[in-house]
Amino acid sequence: MKALAVAPVFIPLITLLIGIMLRPYHQQVKVVSLVGAALLTLVGIRLVALANADVVLAVQLGGWEAPYGITVIIDRLSAAMVAITGIIGLAAALYGLVREGNPDVLRNFHIFLHGLLAGVCGAFITGDVFNLYVWFEVLLIGSFALIALGGGRRRLSGTMTYVVLNLLATLVFLLSAGLIYSSTGTLNMGELGLIFRAGEAPPAATLAVVMMLVSFAIKAALFPVFGWLPASYHVAWTPVSALFAGLLTKVGVYAMIRIVTLVWPEYGQAHEVLLWVACATMLVGVLGAAAQNEVRRILSFHIVSQVGYMILGLALASPLAIAGAVFYLIHHIVVKANLFFIGGIAARMTGSERLAAMGGLYAKAPWLAILFAIPALSLAGIPPLSGFWAKFVLVKASLADGFWWAAGVALLTGIFTLLSMSKIWNETFLKAHPQGEKAIRIDDEMRWGWWAISGLAAMTVLIGIGAGPVMEYAIAAAGQLADPVVYFQAITHPGGR
Amino acid sequence: MSLALIVMLPFLGAVLPALMIRAGRGACAIATGSVTLLAFALLLTHVPAVLRGEVVQVGWEWLPALGLNVTFMLDGLGLLFAGLILGIGLLIIIYARFYLSKDDPMGAFYTYLLLFQGAMVGIVMSDNILLLLVFWELTSLSSFLLIGFWRHLPEGRQGARMALAVTGAGGLSMIAGMLILGNIAGSYELSVILQNRELIQASPLYLPALILILGGCFTKSAQFPFHFWLPHAMAAPTPVSAYLHSATMVKAGIFLMARMWPVLAGTDAWFYLVSTAGLATMVIAAWIALFKDDLKGLLAFSTVSHLGLVTMLFGFGTPMAAVAGVFHIINHASFKAALFMNAGIVDHETGTRDVKRLGGLLFLMPITATMAMIAAASMAGMPLLNGFLSKEMMLEEAAQTSWAGQGWIVPVLATLGAVFSVAYSFRYIVHVFFGPKRDDYPAKPHDPPAGLWLPPALLVALVVLIGLFPETFAGALVRVAAGAVIGAQVPDFHLSIWHGFTPALWMSVVAVVVGLTLLRLYPRVRALWQAGPHPEAKAMFDAVIDSVVLASRLLVLGLHNGSLQRYLAFMIGAAVVLGFAAFFGTTHAPGGRDTLPVGWAVMVPWVMLLATALLGVVLHRYRFVALIIIGVVGLVVSIGFVYLSAPDLALTQISVEVATVILILLALYFLPKSSPIESTNGRRLRDALLAGVGGLGVGALAWAVMTRDFATLSGYYLEQAKPAGGGTNVVNVILVDFRGFDTFGEIIVLGVAALAIFALLDGALRGRIARSLEGWVPDDPVSADRHPIMMVVVTRVMLPLALIVGVYIFLRGHNMPGGGFIAGLVVSIALIMQYMASGFGWAQQQMRVDYHAMIGAGVLIAAATGIAAMVMGYPFLTSAFDYFHLPIVGEFELTSAMPFDIGVFLTVVGAVMLALAQLSNMGLRLANLPVNTRPMDFDPAALRADGGKER
Repeated sequence: MKALAVAPVFIPLITLLIGIMLRPYHQQVKVVSLVGAALLTLVGIRLVALANADVVLAVQLGGWEAPYGITVIIDRLSAAMVAITGIIGLAAALYGLVREGNPDVLRNFHIFLHGLLAGVCGAFITGDVFNLYVWFEVLLIGSFALIALGGGRRRLSGTMTYVVLNLLATLVFLLSAGLIYSSTGTLNMGELGLIFRAGEAPPAATLAVVMMLVSFAIKAALFPVFGWLPASYHVAWTPVSALFAGLLTKVGVYAMIRIVTLVWPEYGQAHEVLLWVACATMLVGVLGAAAQNEVRRILSFHIVSQVGYMILGLALASPLAIAGAVFYLIHHIVVKANLFFIGGIAARMTGSERLAAMGGLYAKAPWLAILFAIPALSLAGIPPLSGFWAKFVLVKASLADGFWWAAGVALLTGIFTLLSMSKIWNETFLKAHPQGEKAIRIDDEMRWGWWAISGLAAMTVLIGIGAGPVMEYAIAAAGQLADPVVYFQAITHPGGR
Repeated sequence: MSLALIVMLPFLGAVLPALMIRAGRGACAIATGSVTLLAFALLLTHVPAVLRGEVVQVGWEWLPALGLNVTFMLDGLGLLFAGLILGIGLLIIIYARFYLSKDDPMGAFYTYLLLFQGAMVGIVMSDNILLLLVFWELTSLSSFLLIGFWRHLPEGRQGARMALAVTGAGGLSMIAGMLILGNIAGSYELSVILQNRELIQASPLYLPALILILGGCFTKSAQFPFHFWLPHAMAAPTPVSAYLHSATMVKAGIFLMARMWPVLAGTDAWFYLVSTAGLATMVIAAWIALFKDDLKGLLAFSTVSHLGLVTMLFGFGTPMAAVAGVFHIINHASFKAALFMNAGIVDHETGTRDVKRLGGLLFLMPITATMAMIAAASMAGMPLLNGFLSKEMMLEEAAQTSWAGQGWIVPVLATLGAVFSVAYSFRYIVHVFFGPKRDDYPAKPHDPPAGLWLPPALLVALVVLIGLFPETFAGALVRVAAGAVIGAQVPDFHLSIWHGFTPALWMSVVAVVVGLTLLRLYPRVRALWQAGPHPEAKAMFDAVIDSVVLASRLLVLGLHNGSLQRYLAFMIGAAVVLGFAAFFGTTHAPGGRDTLPVGWAVMVPWVMLLATALLGVVLHRYRFVALIIIGVVGLVVSIGFVYLSAPDLALTQISVEVATVILILLALYFLPKSSPIESTNGRRLRDALLAGVGGLGVGALAWAVMTRDFATLSGYYLEQAKPAGGGTNVVNVILVDFRGFDTFGEIIVLGVAALAIFALLDGALRGRIARSLEGWVPDDPVSADRHPIMMVVVTRVMLPLALIVGVYIFLRGHNMPGGGFIAGLVVSIALIMQYMASGFGWAQQQMRVDYHAMIGAGVLIAAATGIAAMVMGYPFLTSAFDYFHLPIVGEFELTSAMPFDIGVFLTVVGAVMLALAQLSNMGLRLANLPVNTRPMDFDPAALRADGGKER
């Protein structure tokens, strides 16, 4: 059990190390990467099964009791995030089996992929503020390596923006972590929650949490600090951008959900600010998408807008709303990663990412059209796909709390998203290719990509049709967040030697 | 059970056409038709029960947490609509088989059609409003596919997108409305909601819910002012128009109004919203229809007009009006579907749907002409046909309705609508089939094969039969459906042709006379119309979309212009604003801790720190200088650590400072040596302001923290370091034991960073950059003595010493200042010195270590230490230590933390050296610099070997 708690970090890490050792043997590195990602997925599924049986895994690393040692703790939310990370990692690794471009780049992708996964999983399972910072760094350095893969002027300039802005966010986080410790004397999230909930937090600690949320907001790409995301995602190689689109902002969202529910369980001033920010994020993101003419640029702005929904759920703070945010998180990661994969495949087949230069895919690759339609409609919130339930719960929660304008913004964003998706559909799939059908390239190498996107599309449909159990899981996860007994037990429980 | 099957059959059957198309078009159509037929037959089995007044129900739980259940019900209203959808659907399937050309992908067409059919049946049979919403959105989607079916037509794509936008937006508005409604009633089950009329109408949320739900209904049913999408959806193949835009999709909004009638109708708000919208739609759309030259356009606007009529009837809110509305739904579906198919036949056989290019077809296409005349006459409301009956009932109701206290408005406008209706109906007959034969038809007109005319003929037969014997053919259905709409006792009525000389009859007479006159004077009326304004809906819609795009482009360019500086400004600005807001939002007391006295030892470094920071700002364009200044800042910070008794931190700071400055210097070699001035004064002012305020804020925070005492964990660490951690250097024990997981994460960061640098530069060294490097001339003068002999000698001598220092620092680390991290840096610096002194080429040859493996091994060793603990059943990273005795050495301690520290050490050395090696590789690429294979440019040893000759 204790090994299982740290397995989400260790599996990708060992995979990374084996990958480094096997550097000259490209095929073996790919196999190892695939196996590692599959193992991570299995562990994630096992964790979800445990969490669903109300088991909370908590380990004091090194045997040092909390708050002196570092706590690793996996509740429902963490377990779900780990599982979904494994799945996205597996999809990316599958796609990465493609043979295109420089073989060294492909090999490096499989190595750094697991660096990123280790960081993402570490962030999901830690119960310690500074340790969270460390995993943020790990995932950040992994993402630096991944986004620059392949090089080239355009890519490196996007990388530059990405690196500088993310480092700033990390710096703000470090500052606030220091401030947290020096004002409350603890780094343990559970104890932090206790201090705040008892109303004993000094003003500096409140300020520290605010600064921390600012840095998470940058990571999550909220208005007005989302600039780094649309400036950089479209430059990366397809599976890299899909991986980023699925996971990176969501780590920020996860951290926000974790900290806010822990320290401010009741609706308050901070939630009010978050509510406005969430609405602005939804609208600005979707309007930004309307102004774009490249597939991945459009999709990038939609990430921003979609993150707004999750923060809306967090801001409303009611149990239903938090459950909605959790459900949204799970649904969105699958959908968004898939759209980036499909966008990349479509671009590869048509030879361009500009909508004007694309087209004809419906005739040449009808299955790709269907596979696009599933996540695209889910993103827009069309029933009975997963996105509908996610939006539905949030709208319901907004109305229940009397925030009709927030519900209105959520619905309006939905219709703009639908229009945006229909624009991609018309331009990329329906319209004839401007250079005629012959310009469309279909090769056997795409089969790995097909596997990845069909699997993710199947998940979207499953989450939609099986929304009942998923929603129950999300509601129970929200219950844990509202009353994080487990976190508090991790402190009082004598885990020392 | 069979109820659910009726809904599911079209969905399940949707795969059939896609499969059967391989067996031929006929087989495909038969498969599709049998699916619909089966569903229709299942529906018929429930007819007796429904006619008895029972409500058939079936259901399961789906998402109980949200109140969503899969529950279906079948009452009179549902039966009416489901019958229309499946029955007309069957006819359309037959018709489409003969209508679609060989080039059209028929399998896909039937698949979409079945999906649409299933969604429609779902709407009319849902008992749960959330389930209804699910099907509602599905109809929008499947109709998007159907309308855009001819994907080579841009109008088709645009029309589909517009339809999706309008009906999709309406759907969202309805979701909101339904949610509110469900909240008021406390349930999402229709059967519960329909029982709660008083509760709902008394709620303050009744009006918003009503408006939102009507938003969904009006957009779907193309009611004014949302009518504009329907004509553009006519780019679809005719079977689609006939199905969607006569019988089914556009009636979904009407259905919902009927469904919600018992709870929503009867209030003033309902009356004014619904009947006004209906009335306006009826008149305006009929007027526009009169001037449409495209047959389908004419029919489309006529449909809008008739939907307005039904909407108006439901808006009146009286039971008798509801009866009339239900009756007209049946009649309209029959004659309008027949007419759409008829228009399709004309288009199919003559090659055009343009009224101006047609005429005189009566004797060329007699069957088609006959059917057109009957159906159009019914649409005009001529006696003995079913359209007449329901129009009479409508006029009767209109005559009794007063609007805002004015009794004349509704009857006059209703008559006006009827006038236009007569005019355009007869225009369809006269301008297409009468007049002289022409010889310029695009194709030679003749009657179509039976497959095309038989389906509409069945509908035309219905038109006549209901017209002649209304009570026999429609009475029971109207009664039971109206009963479901009203939700109470149906008023006593009798459907018959002759009601006596009622006001409605006179209104009808006026309508026919004036309508025919209008048609007679058509050229003049048309000229009048031409002179007036023609607001073009598509243009307006496009303008709206364009302005949204333009506005968002402005917005996005404002926020997101690609400038890194601007993004940074936003981020720092957000942090500053929120930070200060949080600061002023709470109350503060000054800290109580006494400040320390300031002596010279503090003052001097502090002034240096200030001075160098300022210098850094002033001189940041000169990159070398700026780097040195930053180095000074780092050194002063390490002095601060020494002063505050933190020797470990000071050691780390110094060695990190040295290693990074050297690496950056190496990198700078390839970069421009100064930054150009790019920012305006305004921008610099903004940045200065942000930096100043941000710095002040951080400074204040530091002050606040330092002037307070707070509970720390230090006590525990100090106490436990020796007995439980086995070391007296608490900092090191924290790093490798208490918080070893952090260190573990950090060495991964370091290792991955080095690998990333390697990968980045490795990739760069292959492509364009490599070529530009080869042609690159260093922009600074190159030293004549690149490898000074003194430095080479000194570093050689120093190397073993430095290595020993490294080992020493490593070993003492657990008890005294030192440890793996610092030792790693010290060793790295010693190695870097070799590279600098003796040159990349030579040093590279001496160092035959694979740094990748070194990094990997480092992290692996650290991980293995942690995992070993787990294998023994302890938590990850649990440490152990013991004391041993050896002769000569004496007593010493071995801890499990030591291998962990070795891992740290290896990773640090590997990472620094890998970065260095890769930068060196770049240097080696410079074509115009000689690569040294010897340690010194002037090698005394070589001199001796050559026998004293100067080389």
